[in-house]
Amino acid sequence: MATDVISGRPRAESHTLRAEEERLRAHLERQLRVRTRFAPLGEVRALLVSPDREDRPKSLVVSSSTSIAERIYLYVHVAAHIALGHHLPLVTIVEGAPGVTRFSDVARHREAEDLARAIWWGQTDKGGLLGAPALVQRSAMLRRLLAVGITRSALRSVLIGMRHAYYDLHIERALARSRLTAWLRDALCLTAVVYVAPQLSDMTVSRG
Amino acid sequence: MRIQNAQRVSEAIQTLSAGTSLDTLVDRLYDLTDGALALDRATLHRIARGKTQVARAIDSPEECIRLYFALMILGCERELSVTSIVDEGHAVLAGFVGEPLASLIFRDLAATLPKLTDRYTLREYLEEGLRVWLPT
Repeated sequence: MATDVISGRPRAESHTLRAEEERLRAHLERQLRVRTRFAPLGEVRALLVSPDREDRPKSLVVSSSTSIAERIYLYVHVAAHIALGHHLPLVTIVEGAPGVTRFSDVARHREAEDLARAIWWGQTDKGGLLGAPALVQRSAMLRRLLAVGITRSALRSVLIGMRHAYYDLHIERALARSRLTAWLRDALCLTAVVYVAPQLSDMTVSRG
Repeated sequence: MRIQNAQRVSEAIQTLSAGTSLDTLVDRLYDLTDGALALDRATLHRIARGKTQVARAIDSPEECIRLYFALMILGCERELSVTSIVDEGHAVLAGFVGEPLASLIFRDLAATLPKLTDRYTLREYLEEGLRVWLPT
């Protein structure tokens, strides 16, 4: 399977993005018994190696060259594969390089993409724990803006610009605890992930 | 578990160890499996030399699979070709475990290998396979 990700990165990974990545990784470990580690992996983005029984831990190796946003996408995508039972019995799931279509299990990948999108936008009944940050998860406005490539890029640029201004103007003390700041932080996190994995948006571009 | 073809298993181990002495081979196998391999040194020597039909110390398929993954990692470390590593690993596992479990593993291997583009990634896959089968 090939994950579809865009490699452009913001100038710095936000703390919100890092915290979200850690939260999702911990959730995978606690709820789905997936142990994650990072290693240099050639063209492959991630490997999920599973045992023959559901009650045993699984191992996820993620390429150390992936960005934080890509990792978040991979966790949601892998969780979708697990929910669909694609990993059993004893099936290794390989997430390929962005845009590379060379694997035969395209249908399963598409199923996982569809479920990952539902998880990401909080449409499943699991409490949204694996989805986008709670404050912005149900935002119809963000969802519409992220569905189109041009507005997605523009939104990302605007949010990154606001983030730079926030720190450059030294207004973080005054605004750090405001609800607006919290919303913008979460919106940047969500946008960063959808930017590297546009298939999470409503613009369906699933490719195997 | 009874070894189905002791001679073939022995040949596979010799190939995967690529000229390493038996003592070095056994030490590395213990390292790779974090001491979780229940086989004693003498039994491993006998298996590697093809001198036994019954490996009494191997009492579970998991144990055989650990040995299989560890030997294949050894093959990666000795820089054997991917084809050789897979063929010999296949021979080792087929020599030990029953067909249902072996066929599951071979099926996963056959589906996964075309997606792995280099020996380093193959090794990561094998190491994870080994971890998954180690006791928790």
